[in-house]
Amino acid sequence: MAFTPSRLLLAAAFLGASALGVSAADFQPENPECIAPANPGGGWDFTCRQVGKSLQDLKLLDKTMQVVNLAGGGGGVAFAEVVNKRGDDNDLIVAASSATATRLAQGAYPGNTMDQVRWLASIGADYGVIAVAADSPVNTLPELLDQIKADPSSVSVAGGSAVGGWDHLKVLIAANAYGIGDVRSVKYIAFDGGGEAVTQLLAGSVQAFTGDISEAKGFVDSGDIKVIAVLAPDRLPGEFADFPTAKEQGVDAIGANWRGFYAPGNMSDDAYNAWVAKISELYASEEWKGVMAANGLAPLDLQGEEFQQFVAASVQQIQDISKEIGIIK
Amino acid sequence: MSDRIFGLVGLLLALGYAWAALTIEESFLSDAVGPKAFPLIIATVLGLASLAIIAKPDAAPHWPSFMRFLEVGTAIAVMILYAILLPELGFLIATALAATYLTWRLGSAPISSVVSGCATSAGIYAVFHLVLGLSLAKGPLGF
Amino acid sequence: METLSSLADGFAIALTWQNLLLALLGCFLGTMMGALPGLGPSNGVAILIPLAFTLGLGATPSLILLTSVYYGAMYGGRISSILLNIPGDEPAMMTCLDGYPMAKNGRAGEALALSGVASFVGAFLATWGLILLAPQLVKIALLFGPAEYFALFTLAFATLGGIASTNQAKTAFAAALGIGLATVGVDTQTGVPRFTFGEVHLYDGIDFLVAIVGLFALSEVFLFLEHRHGASDASGHKVSVGRMMPSLSLLKSCTPTMLRTSFLGFVAGVLPGAGASLGSFISYTMEKRLVDKDGTFGTGDPRGVAAPEAGNNAAAGGALVPMLALGVPGSGTTAVLLAVLLALNITPGPLLFTQQPDVVWGLIAALFIANFMLLAMNIPMIGLFTRVLLIPPRILMPIVAMVSFVGIYGISGSSFDLLVMIGFGVAGWVLRKLDVPLVPIILGTLLGNAMENNLRRAITIDNGNWWTLIDSPLSIGLWSLAVIGFVLPIVFGRILKARMKHMAKDEEGAVVD
Repeated sequence: MAFTPSRLLLAAAFLGASALGVSAADFQPENPECIAPANPGGGWDFTCRQVGKSLQDLKLLDKTMQVVNLAGGGGGVAFAEVVNKRGDDNDLIVAASSATATRLAQGAYPGNTMDQVRWLASIGADYGVIAVAADSPVNTLPELLDQIKADPSSVSVAGGSAVGGWDHLKVLIAANAYGIGDVRSVKYIAFDGGGEAVTQLLAGSVQAFTGDISEAKGFVDSGDIKVIAVLAPDRLPGEFADFPTAKEQGVDAIGANWRGFYAPGNMSDDAYNAWVAKISELYASEEWKGVMAANGLAPLDLQGEEFQQFVAASVQQIQDISKEIGIIK
Repeated sequence: MSDRIFGLVGLLLALGYAWAALTIEESFLSDAVGPKAFPLIIATVLGLASLAIIAKPDAAPHWPSFMRFLEVGTAIAVMILYAILLPELGFLIATALAATYLTWRLGSAPISSVVSGCATSAGIYAVFHLVLGLSLAKGPLGF
Repeated sequence: METLSSLADGFAIALTWQNLLLALLGCFLGTMMGALPGLGPSNGVAILIPLAFTLGLGATPSLILLTSVYYGAMYGGRISSILLNIPGDEPAMMTCLDGYPMAKNGRAGEALALSGVASFVGAFLATWGLILLAPQLVKIALLFGPAEYFALFTLAFATLGGIASTNQAKTAFAAALGIGLATVGVDTQTGVPRFTFGEVHLYDGIDFLVAIVGLFALSEVFLFLEHRHGASDASGHKVSVGRMMPSLSLLKSCTPTMLRTSFLGFVAGVLPGAGASLGSFISYTMEKRLVDKDGTFGTGDPRGVAAPEAGNNAAAGGALVPMLALGVPGSGTTAVLLAVLLALNITPGPLLFTQQPDVVWGLIAALFIANFMLLAMNIPMIGLFTRVLLIPPRILMPIVAMVSFVGIYGISGSSFDLLVMIGFGVAGWVLRKLDVPLVPIILGTLLGNAMENNLRRAITIDNGNWWTLIDSPLSIGLWSLAVIGFVLPIVFGRILKARMKHMAKDEEGAVVD
């Protein structure tokens, strides 16, 4: 994935956001609303509620942001609603994540594309990991990929997303980067969520696990599994610093499950800038750092135009690899 | 007789389901079983069960008279209208209308139906929206 | 002993006025949400998360509030099952089978009280199970690979004949229909949409909540409309609710049932992916096999009320085991609780018990408190609940219909779901007239996906070898049980059928013949 936020870039983004904050201060949403494109309890719902609460706590919003659940079609129903019916609503933001980008890239929202909405900002990312059981003879990512190369049927990789979903694509990105020609031969088993996938790794039903760092953390601490690669550009800070990146093992693969927001396509520039400024300020706050730490989110600081480009690049990448494995034509 | 017809409908359903399963477009990427096998197994069970029902039907149930059918049919139509109009009219109005209709058809006098319909709507609104904080449909008037 | 002192510490944390008030609030709201069709424990907890956050509660108080809601909803589901023949949430489905007939026989008060006690026993024992066995139980969960899960689900469907109608073909039809409905949506193993006809609303599949509310609640409304012959008989009939407390001899006769089913339910709860619905279901069918010598199950047998209630509440406790010890949610509700834990900076997993003992033991103490509170709250409130029966149907039924609509719309915000629900309502009405049992349909929509996915996972892992399904002692054991459970009723079916003919014909409109 093509993002390597340099220090300079971050600084620029921050300055830019602050500048926007001044110019757009005159817009205040009257009835701020956040659509969570899923039932209460999922990741999107959580993004909306958590951000809504923090925005209010930080006095960036003077009213409570109403969270509306609009489930269906893996987010497609909400996307279509925003595009078709609420295209010029200035008070509305919608929770999104890599899953949204994946489905957009694979045409899973029939008739909708990513440029029908305006992408606001990210609020953090969860980096992908590849792990094996603690007693596995495999110790490094190249060892695992060599095994797959030699006999793909001997390694089952478990993940929490559907086939063609983000967990699956991550392992394919790694395989691709290692020079495995036919990535379709990689045996991926889809489970209902990362937790179930890890459990099956412990139970010995599968040989490897692909998922997010937050899903793996508890089991690494207990010594049940070992992370053989984290798909981040650099080693992560703090307690994750021991995990080797794929890159340093010679596999140039990066995969981050980001969380963020989009807004209706015809939102006014004033409103758009105001929302971007609000979320930037939220992102920079101490309170949000605490929330990120609590949720195992790693930094991903992209706002406004930058975020728009980031999503475009990631949609492109997913489209390419999906074509290669034949999920889309 | 009812059961024979039911079994026949079930058989058609099984066939339709199997046909729809066969036309599932498989991607290049497939697991060892594929997306069709399990639905086909289920279609077989569905079909066999339907055949068994045709072969050994139970006694026919008591079917309502035509007027009763009409009653149920109209109620269904009202519910469908409700589902469609809910986002347009807003929760309170749409629910009051639908509840009034149902209360009336279940045997209340017209005026008490209106009262009970409005009370039902307001009561549900209070519990679900004001107490539990669920977002209900907003109409043009904001409720 | 160490356990007991930790537990005492937990109580020290949990027993503050604030926490007790929160538990009371949670129990009350939970019971209410459990009783309303459409809102179940998982949505209930999710809806109240913002409340916990707005109140600015810390980790332990938030958990106390939300687990009280969870246990409260598990209690509450039975109320509408017994009084209205409409399950308040999916695990309470089995309670309809004997609870509603009991209410019709004028024993509503007794049924509610007994089920309250059974819920208490199940939840109480399960909480002890959680304390004493959590670390060991995790190992059971690890014995279950995809092949074993597939065998477990097959077992559940094979024993369906035990609950339902005299006509096995109709039971099989209903189960297949349910599983078929579960296959609608994007196939998780290959990513292709199936049976969606290009309709984006169907990509996520059919929500079983929509199915259950439509099949049970709306079809009930249609039945009422059909049977209204003029205003006179719909304007309210005197219903006797019977005594408000079960007699000691009744409790005594149900005790073995409650103990057995608490155990079964707890084990079902511990297995991730099986959950409370399977717990109450297996509890009911096994208990019927075991003690129903006179064929009274399904006609208002108190044991048929005690069994599923003890089973599903025990399963609710059991589901906390994999959630806390593995970070794997065993049910929809624990998935939501897991998200809460993460937000509170608590990482569930193998080390939770040693790393954050105050949270774990505070939580366990909260479970005990909530449980006692619910018992204390539910028994005196039975009089209040049974008033529902005194509301004339012409008022009550529209309320039921509207609450069903709101319960679904409030969660998904989708008119499409409402239309699907009406479709289920019509189907439920026709199927009930034709004596097709509805429970297998719900069970099919609930478990169909997990069943198919585990089958395909097992076979894919073993590179297309179908024999992998009977490759472990555990799966062979489960398959043998399934075969026995399937064949026995067919053999004894004739004997039973002959006996049934002697019994008075059931009233039309019962969920299960």
